[in-house]
Amino acid sequence: MNGAPLQRGVDRDKLKAMLRQKRRMRYFLSFCASCGLCAESCFYYRKHGDPRSTPAYKAVNTLGVMFSRKRTLSRDDLEGMKVLLWGKCVLCRRCYCPFGIDISGMISWARSICRAQGIYEDYRKSSRGL
Amino acid sequence: MVIAKTKPLEEIFGMIRSCRSLLIVGCAGCTALCLEGGPREVDGLKDRLGALCKEEGSPCRMEGITLERQCEMEFIEELDAIEGDYEAILSLACGAGVQFVAERYPRKPVLPALNTTFIGVNRAVGLYEERCRSCGDCQLASTGGICFVTLCAKSLFNGPCGGSHNGRCEVDPEIPCAWCAIYERLKGQGRLESLLTLRPPMAWKNGVRGLQVHEDFKDRYGR
Repeated sequence: MNGAPLQRGVDRDKLKAMLRQKRRMRYFLSFCASCGLCAESCFYYRKHGDPRSTPAYKAVNTLGVMFSRKRTLSRDDLEGMKVLLWGKCVLCRRCYCPFGIDISGMISWARSICRAQGIYEDYRKSSRGL
Repeated sequence: MVIAKTKPLEEIFGMIRSCRSLLIVGCAGCTALCLEGGPREVDGLKDRLGALCKEEGSPCRMEGITLERQCEMEFIEELDAIEGDYEAILSLACGAGVQFVAERYPRKPVLPALNTTFIGVNRAVGLYEERCRSCGDCQLASTGGICFVTLCAKSLFNGPCGGSHNGRCEVDPEIPCAWCAIYERLKGQGRLESLLTLRPPMAWKNGVRGLQVHEDFKDRYGR
């Protein structure tokens, strides 16, 4: 559900419930061998060459962090993830993983979790996003 | 991107008047970009509709959620766990998204909260211009990248017409004449000979349902 945009803090019950909802996400995170083979399938990475633009980096440093720090995660932490979730990914869903990890599914679920906390891209501020 | 506009609140209320529970579903794709269907707009519509329901004495339990996109079934799946709790779904997606949600939940009324207006560009925040009619036979190569189907008031294939005056359209002097713009653009590119080619009448394909299979996937879909 959409969260109230002005609320501060993190609705931790909602966060934990959403992290439990899609069990496969946890498995995906544990399967990732950090091989980096997904990088070449990401047009954003290919254009910018920044390792922080690789699909695995984006997924692990957003959804992965939500799992590992679900008890202490702050609202600022979630706000900080916007750069990776919206700024460096257009969710074209072309990222390829040889292990079959649904990387774009992880990123979209991380976006859903953020939206449920009232954190999302504000297109009113800039037509170019972040 | 697809541009849309929220329907008048009274029209939306007319659709949901008899509902006692309503799931308002936003779309974080095109309609969020044009500031009509994202999480903020879902919350705003929920508040305004809630107030109207209260005023009209027809209470309705409402909840809002925004999906990544409503034109992909995988994202719509997110509703499976909650849609059963609501009598109807109010979608803030384009017409394609509304239909895809309705296809997934055929027993549930899926109602459109937006009017899909056109395919356009983001000139500035909140300012959108129509640029494409998705006619299926793009002519931009020979017109200097200016679409006469969209920008000429008469969609003239071999313009300009006699009503062009000082670069303005006779239909509305506020509108620039698309064919004058095409002339100027081609002149600047030294390609005025493009104007001498007569274009045959368009095989208008908008009358039939569009379906496109990427060349690499033709075997998969048997087309």
